[in-house]
Amino acid sequence: MRKYFVLVSIVLATVVIAYITTYLRALGPIGLDTRYLAKLFLMLTYNPVYRELTAMSPEAVTSIVWDFRGVDTLYETVVFYMAIIAALTIYRGVSYSSIWGGYGLSLIVRVVTKLLIPINIAIAVSIAAHGHLTPGGGFQAGAVLAVVSVLLAVTYSASSFIKLGVSLSKAVALRSAGLLAIALVVFTPIVFSALTGVQTYIMQNYVKIDSSFSFPTHVWNQLISGTLIWLNLAEFLAVSFGFFIIFMLLSLREEVVREQIGEKDEH
Amino acid sequence: MRVLKKYVPVAILVFAVYIVFSGSISSYDIIIGAFLAVAVSLISSKYIVKDESKALSLRRFLHLVKYALYYLTIAEFKAHKMVIKIVLSREMPVKPAIVRVPYRSRNEYAVVASANSITNTPGTIVVDIDPEKSQFYVHWIYAAGLDPETTYIGVLEEFEKGLSKVFE
Repeated sequence: MRKYFVLVSIVLATVVIAYITTYLRALGPIGLDTRYLAKLFLMLTYNPVYRELTAMSPEAVTSIVWDFRGVDTLYETVVFYMAIIAALTIYRGVSYSSIWGGYGLSLIVRVVTKLLIPINIAIAVSIAAHGHLTPGGGFQAGAVLAVVSVLLAVTYSASSFIKLGVSLSKAVALRSAGLLAIALVVFTPIVFSALTGVQTYIMQNYVKIDSSFSFPTHVWNQLISGTLIWLNLAEFLAVSFGFFIIFMLLSLREEVVREQIGEKDEH
Repeated sequence: MRVLKKYVPVAILVFAVYIVFSGSISSYDIIIGAFLAVAVSLISSKYIVKDESKALSLRRFLHLVKYALYYLTIAEFKAHKMVIKIVLSREMPVKPAIVRVPYRSRNEYAVVASANSITNTPGTIVVDIDPEKSQFYVHWIYAAGLDPETTYIGVLEEFEKGLSKVFE
């Protein structure tokens, strides 16, 4: 009886939601018509004719994320940066140097993982380097690369970070380098303006109505889409090593952390 | 030259994965792929490649292709046939057991490839491995016997014979 009740409610709910979203047009008119905003994006993401409005990248999402609403993404990156600073603060005084031992998983998993890590890196870099051309980009590539830290911690145990020379301070340095690179791209137009007197905007990618400044869109006939490739690569660095820090900290055992911060009290 | 050769296998792997995953052979991708291949290979080769002459041997590569063809057609067909027979019969003639299977390979890639060959054929799964005693613990849907010879012949022999030409 209860099973029957659950089944009927699922079917009813599906029918009602389908009815509301289609015939009642709760999501607005649907059909073959593309909405006006979508049409604008599709027309302007890569359009050498409307030079003042385009982002010069065939990848609509990257164009929106790093150009049309680039400052928003910049702040998102800063929020991510702050979250990792918070994590590092919670774990302050904890270092990775005194962890030894740990066996990891069986030989089979270890050997397969060993081969997967270079493949993982190749795919991550490909996603980052094509962020302005195909779906993907810096954040996605960073998430892919960060998987390496999880693989190491789970398959070879946390002590493998020491053996491989991966340290928290190196990860922090690389992540900061990524953020500095983003800042460099963001402020280059301002510096250019200060030096030459040309009108520019912060985070400017391509020419605007009242500004002739532009990052190079092509290098030897290869489309690099101005700021987008640099922002994607810098974000790749910042995000991947940001996640590296988080996963490295999370793979520490509680006893190790307690011992290092001098917490003796057994509650 | 001898020193550089050590880095070639991983570089080839990374470059091939990069190009295939990118789906492009533009000069942009070839340049980035090449830089990436060199960088990753410099970092990771010492963990992955112990004997580069084995990794670069054409004869071993051909043996690998031969083994892959054998495995994907004959070995898989035989294993599937057995499991299909069990599934379709009325009596359900299973004799499940976790058996010890001794392996003879010394090379870790050979051992892992054998284990994965066993796992990927239906009816047998490597549950655990004991490198010190050189044996797998295999769950076998129709254990013909429990003694090491029977399990070795029934589960592993064919695979190890083919793989030893590739890795040993």
